[in-house]
Amino acid sequence: MSTCENIDSGSINQVRYGCALGAFHSVVAIPGAMPIAHCGPGCVDKQYMSLDFYNGFQGGGRSGGAVIPSTNLQEEDVIFGGAKRLQELIEATLKIIKADLFVVLNGCIGELVGDDVGAVVEEFQKQGVPIVNAETGGFKGNNFIGHEIVVKAIIDQFVDKYAAKNVKRQKGLINVWSELPFQNTFWRGDFNELKRILEGAGFQVNILFGNGSGGIEEWKRIPEAQFNLVVSPWLGLSIAQHLQDKYGQPYLHLPVLPIGAGQTAEFLHKVVAFAGIDSKQADEFITTEEREYYYYLEHFTDFYAEYWWGLPSSYAVIGDSTYNLALNKFLVTQLGLLPVKQIITDNPPQIYRDKIRSEYKNLDSDVSAEVSFLEDGYRINDLLQHLNYGHKPPIIFGTTWERDTTKKLGGSIVEVGFPASYEVVLNKKYIGYRGALSLLEKIFTTIISKSA
Amino acid sequence: MKEKINLDMPEVQPREQRLGTIIAWDGDIDELHRQSDFIGRAGCDRNAACKLCELRGPFSQGSVCSEQMVECQAGNVRDAVLIQHAPIGCGAGQVPYNSIYRNGLAMRGHKVENIRIINTNLSEDDVVFGAADKLRMAIDDAWTRYKPKAIFIATSCATGIIGEDVDSIAREKQEELNIPVIPMACEGFRSKHWSTGFDATQHGILRQIVNNHPHKQEDLVNVINLWGSDVFTPMLANLNLRVNYVIDLASVDDLARMSEAAATVGFCYTLSSYLAAALEEHFGVPEVKAPMPYGFAGTDAWLRELARITHREELAEKYIKAEHARVHPRIAELKKKLKGVKGYVATGSAYSHGLIQVLRELEVKVNGSLVFHHDPVYDSGDEQEDSLGHLLKHYGNVENFHVSNRQQYQLYAFLQKVHPDFMLIRHNGLAPLASRLGIPAAPLGDEHIAIGYQGIINLGETILDILARKKYHDSIKKHVTLPYTDWWLKQEDAYILAR
Repeated sequence: MSTCENIDSGSINQVRYGCALGAFHSVVAIPGAMPIAHCGPGCVDKQYMSLDFYNGFQGGGRSGGAVIPSTNLQEEDVIFGGAKRLQELIEATLKIIKADLFVVLNGCIGELVGDDVGAVVEEFQKQGVPIVNAETGGFKGNNFIGHEIVVKAIIDQFVDKYAAKNVKRQKGLINVWSELPFQNTFWRGDFNELKRILEGAGFQVNILFGNGSGGIEEWKRIPEAQFNLVVSPWLGLSIAQHLQDKYGQPYLHLPVLPIGAGQTAEFLHKVVAFAGIDSKQADEFITTEEREYYYYLEHFTDFYAEYWWGLPSSYAVIGDSTYNLALNKFLVTQLGLLPVKQIITDNPPQIYRDKIRSEYKNLDSDVSAEVSFLEDGYRINDLLQHLNYGHKPPIIFGTTWERDTTKKLGGSIVEVGFPASYEVVLNKKYIGYRGALSLLEKIFTTIISKSA
Repeated sequence: MKEKINLDMPEVQPREQRLGTIIAWDGDIDELHRQSDFIGRAGCDRNAACKLCELRGPFSQGSVCSEQMVECQAGNVRDAVLIQHAPIGCGAGQVPYNSIYRNGLAMRGHKVENIRIINTNLSEDDVVFGAADKLRMAIDDAWTRYKPKAIFIATSCATGIIGEDVDSIAREKQEELNIPVIPMACEGFRSKHWSTGFDATQHGILRQIVNNHPHKQEDLVNVINLWGSDVFTPMLANLNLRVNYVIDLASVDDLARMSEAAATVGFCYTLSSYLAAALEEHFGVPEVKAPMPYGFAGTDAWLRELARITHREELAEKYIKAEHARVHPRIAELKKKLKGVKGYVATGSAYSHGLIQVLRELEVKVNGSLVFHHDPVYDSGDEQEDSLGHLLKHYGNVENFHVSNRQQYQLYAFLQKVHPDFMLIRHNGLAPLASRLGIPAAPLGDEHIAIGYQGIINLGETILDILARKKYHDSIKKHVTLPYTDWWLKQEDAYILAR
């Protein structure tokens, strides 16, 4: 098991991720898809209220929250098995719920009592129902791991079956794998911006999740893409690897999700170079975007250069590896802030950890940062309270769990990740060109609004 | 004779076994009251003789589990720690309950801080080989980190299935640490209704925290509630009574001193049934057996019964008279403004009975309601607690009354029948559908909002606020489609698949 490598007791206070079943949110994120949960009566509600509701109050939309069909398993199902119950639920779901794709997620109970969910689902697949089965028992790992299980299940049991046969790869078409939907509070806005900048640079984009996705028709075009683009330190890599094995589709791995003009231009240049397309459109796009970006930064400069009371410099980021690294790159290279300690909370599989650490060794030519991999909130907050932030209290980029510590330190809390229970988020984004501007507004409004 | 609550058992008996609880039913209050047979059931073997016809269909949407209720009670005791012996998924509940806990602390004037719940984070190996040592280590973590006055342990579906012996580890650690270490059997699959989770917490507290040698305090009243705003302190001050709020936001000492109180009251029998009855049977603290304090009739009777038990009849009469006079003019204004308005109540069971009473005091029309479950009787078995009967007798029938365990797909059909102007809700999951149909909902997160005489005014004003928001909901209605099939949306009978 590579996913549960905590030191000491391994107990977790102040959770920073859900369980593998919580990856039903990745299904909810695909327009037209509907999860079906085979689990206890509270599992769906818990994951929803946590990862979705009290995390930016994102909302379930059409296929989330209390809409999700669930077997709500009872004692008799535990004793006699719940496969029959699942079968009748799926039958009834097909009568009651409208969706283009159903994804059955198996939880702890089904996996422990040994329900053969695969066999139940297969019967429906044989009848031509667009339905897949994902084994996501909560003890198997967190929702990051669950996400990869769910995506691979959809690829193997749906995309592979329904995709057009013998179509040629399309140059310039990319499948994008990046943040974890819903877990990342700002994923909706971020995915839109990611799509916008890639399209601006001349690509066609299968963004696959969120409002900008074409739903299952887009998923069916996954095999047509020229390559897979993984924009995160590790999440999605095993999916890209899987697609490479399956379709011989190459992938480009860029660990840094770009925030701000510098990172975004670098990002686009790398993607263009890998794709081997003409860079003219990308160059023009970057020029236009930078004109807009620096128009606002020029005006922001008055504040940043001479705000009467000065502004804090030291900071710590507490978050999943994707956002943690992205924020660090931006804060160091664009703003010249000083990293004190960076805490990565998504429990990346061990094999990726050295690589992640090395990214922080070279945040910029003159700046590196120390990284800790921690998931237990008690230890995280204990650590934060005993760091030396210098003469001014720090900016803490964290979660709701860090509010008390930040208050004790006299610092400013910017809630950038799960759980962000004191943020209301619609399409706010923190990445790319436009997201960077929102992020600047958020950081400095937070800092100065606590001054009086 | 009614059986006494058994506190010798380590595990609480689920509600369906104690009370005959059901989670699906279709009809009206008149019929439900008849089938419930509160008095007959109170005196008979509740497992066998008198059964309500419960509907059971193949379709269900994600509901709520007992462990969540344990988190929202045991997890909210201020100087205790709750351990979830469970895979990490159960830990997701820490997030919503932290937000609610923090806001509740702020509302009641306590220091705001994060909730203290520790999850043992069971892995695949643990569910194969067992995780007794993980639980021991988590208990040690709780102790070294927080020095709590009590440690609660919630079980989970996973530990229930693999057969973890939580009880003996709790006993061992209790001896070692010399504080109550309280196991609570709350596996989600163990009961068909999550309110068993309330009882599991209360059972553990009664067994291991409540003081067995109390010094009685004749002016102390236990108020069994959740996070609601402090309306009871000023109200009971008129009777020279002091409030001991339990279980949420209480300290372990507050819980221990429940046995010292002169009486126990609640805002909802669904929540308070087990604890209040057991405090009376095992600790001699009388439960106020009266209609719940909603609307004039309910509040009058509730205050009088509390006054009778605590010997403060004169003070109560004075207070009742003054309050009637104070609230009548504003209620008259509200009635005018709410004339012709139709409301729908979709909440927990007994709470709905209370809210309908308040709505009818305001002359708001209520011809439909859904409750998440129905208890045909409460633990005391006392007829005075027949909340459904009180509603029926004093405020009349509700023609469309449904038991539906947070099943959003059924709500659609219910609403088509009654077309309300607004809804009252408490738990999440139903208002999002109502909104998409252009119906605004008032979430009563502060459960005390409708209590007592002032509660009638509060609720009336809340309704006016949300009726104004209909504009938002109407615009949403025009721009979204529902995830349900046309076939389903045409069904008039929400239980068609269950018949």
